[in-house]
Amino acid sequence: MSFMAFMETMGTSSFPIVAAFFIGLMTAISPCPLATNITAIAYVSKKMSNSKHTLLIGFLYTLGKMFTYVGLASLIVFFGMQTQAISLFLQKYGEKILGPLLLIIGILMLDILKLHFFKSSNKLNKLKEKLAEKGFLGAFLLGVIFALAFCPFSAMLFFGMLIPLALRMGDGLIIPGVFALATGLPVIISSIILTKSVSKLGLIINKVQKLELWMRRIVAVIFILVGLYYTLRVF
Amino acid sequence: MKRRYYVGAVVLILLVFIVPKYFMEDVISDSSVGTHVDKLEVYHFHATNQCYSCITMGDYAEETVNTYFADELESGKIIFDHINGDLPENRDLVVKYGVTGSSLWLGTHNGDEFNAEQNTNVWYKINNKQDYMNYLKEIIEQKLAGN
Repeated sequence: MSFMAFMETMGTSSFPIVAAFFIGLMTAISPCPLATNITAIAYVSKKMSNSKHTLLIGFLYTLGKMFTYVGLASLIVFFGMQTQAISLFLQKYGEKILGPLLLIIGILMLDILKLHFFKSSNKLNKLKEKLAEKGFLGAFLLGVIFALAFCPFSAMLFFGMLIPLALRMGDGLIIPGVFALATGLPVIISSIILTKSVSKLGLIINKVQKLELWMRRIVAVIFILVGLYYTLRVF
Repeated sequence: MKRRYYVGAVVLILLVFIVPKYFMEDVISDSSVGTHVDKLEVYHFHATNQCYSCITMGDYAEETVNTYFADELESGKIIFDHINGDLPENRDLVVKYGVTGSSLWLGTHNGDEFNAEQNTNVWYKINNKQDYMNYLKEIIEQKLAGN
């Protein structure tokens, strides 16, 4: 049995939870979400010295995705919003926003531009900076935004397969929740492997901090490249 | 200690009443079984900017219909078309089918009765043209037979 045949069998399984999980896995490896997932893996792995931190950031990224997918499914299942309207709207505008947004984040991460107006002294901004420094808020928001970018194949998987399943089950929480978990799973697993192996390398050559600085630059470049990929695809 | 019992009770309720339905067989009822079909529409819906897989999916569907159902195409029993959902003139068709993106749909007409069904399985067969064509041929044959 080929890989795709296996994914098809599992994704169309008559056991709803199994089907939702494998539709999610298929989404994670389909072209557009794969690009965003690679960006997320890079983001999650940028602090290499602490694998617990990496794991937490990976979970928050997945939680962000869950927020969006459960939100969208709930709008359709519980509030009766039209699947067609939401799907066509997101496919039309989601990618248009995502490309330029990633480009801007990437450029900011490279520290080429110094934006002084971001540095405010009030407490709220300090808290925001603290959260951003640890990457928790960033990871969650990244998950929320990335989940909103639908390409034709991922849109088919979500709106054509998962939503009908959720509607049949009358459930806008657990089915999309399991789906979201599966879409974020490759990010969590890859980032742990990457962090463990790269930090070991860093310890060997005794230059973890320097490696982290380079990792940050690499992440910025990945953001810019993926941003360019989305921007060129749409415009 | 009491809190532990409450948590246990909630978990038990979840296990007994809610969770099982997600592991039970999800049976999809098909009301159209055995009914006669007057006309079958096979439509490939797409956007103006198409992805590689979207083009392939449409091309393979067209080739399947042309290869195996030439007589039905000529008689008008089967209609095949690529529909650009972004064009205003196709708006009604997009709404009628309930299209949510690039997709392959099979619409059956039986008198005044109309039934539209999206086929999502074809996406999994894009890497194997013969597999795709054999599968879609079988699905179209089933539809024509009223199954």
